[in-house]
Amino acid sequence: MIGPGIHIKGTVTGDEDLLIQGKVEGTINLSDHEVVIGQSGKVTADIKAKTVKIDGEVTGDVSGIEKVVIAKSGRVRGNIVAPRVTLEDGAHFKGSIDMDPGDTRTAQAVPKIEKAVAAPANNANLGLDLKHG
Amino acid sequence: MSPHSHVSQLLASVLQREEEGERVTVLDVGPALPETVEFFANGPCSLHIADLFGALPLHPEEAGFAYREQWRDVLPLSAGTRFDICLFWDLFNYLSLPAASALLQVLRPHLHPETRGHAFGVHKRGMPENARIYGIGSADRLTLRPRRHPLPGYAPMPQAQLQAVLADFRFERSVLLADGRLEIVLGMKDEKGT
Repeated sequence: MIGPGIHIKGTVTGDEDLLIQGKVEGTINLSDHEVVIGQSGKVTADIKAKTVKIDGEVTGDVSGIEKVVIAKSGRVRGNIVAPRVTLEDGAHFKGSIDMDPGDTRTAQAVPKIEKAVAAPANNANLGLDLKHG
Repeated sequence: MSPHSHVSQLLASVLQREEEGERVTVLDVGPALPETVEFFANGPCSLHIADLFGALPLHPEEAGFAYREQWRDVLPLSAGTRFDICLFWDLFNYLSLPAASALLQVLRPHLHPETRGHAFGVHKRGMPENARIYGIGSADRLTLRPRRHPLPGYAPMPQAQLQAVLADFRFERSVLLADGRLEIVLGMKDEKGT
């Protein structure tokens, strides 16, 4: 754990899961482990980990080998690459998210997007469908 | 805050080009919402989220702030990015004509002939504001959340003016909704401008 009073500049690597409650600037590379940025954590770094959970602030690119979760208190500015990405209600995110559930070992079958269906009776549409030439 | 939903007759036609296994690149100009991320997480996707509503109001150009530069600041895009789907929501109801034109100029290099867009306009200029945050619940259902704070600059353009501003797009289909809004599907014009 990197405690709330700790400020690290540089590259963080290792062989165990990591909880960050302090500040980190640089690079975090824990490809076989989980990285959690706690609510008081402030990270200005690119992060690569097996799973990444963000409760605090991250500025940088995030790569999750299995998944990335931005919790409701999380604030992220950067680009995310992961097979699965979950954003909780209230989370702030700006950037791009590259997802491919087929990349994960636990991937579910990709559902087809449904074709257009007629609006039900309780829809707020007037049903006036205007086609433009 | 649980969102309301709106069954859309048109949304599926914007999204249906995503076939199983095919990667799509999407621009969402609203704030990031869980349901939208979850929807696109079902397949390979590059989802670009830039809350352009949060950039409002833009600084006036007369004060030396070019609209294009302001848009580029809030919508940084790499040169190779090409969007298959643009989710504009009701952004154009809050933009002046030059601000909307400038946004389209910034986006132009990132569109391609098969790009499709989704937007809300109004049937009549005097339509009252109903500020919402839009998300995608499913291929034919939008989620609607009320905005906590009013947005500045609500001045919707009539449809003809909006069509003129969105010069690169053709209005493929639109549906007049009960509250007077128009839900619009946009496709790219071809080389002949049709």
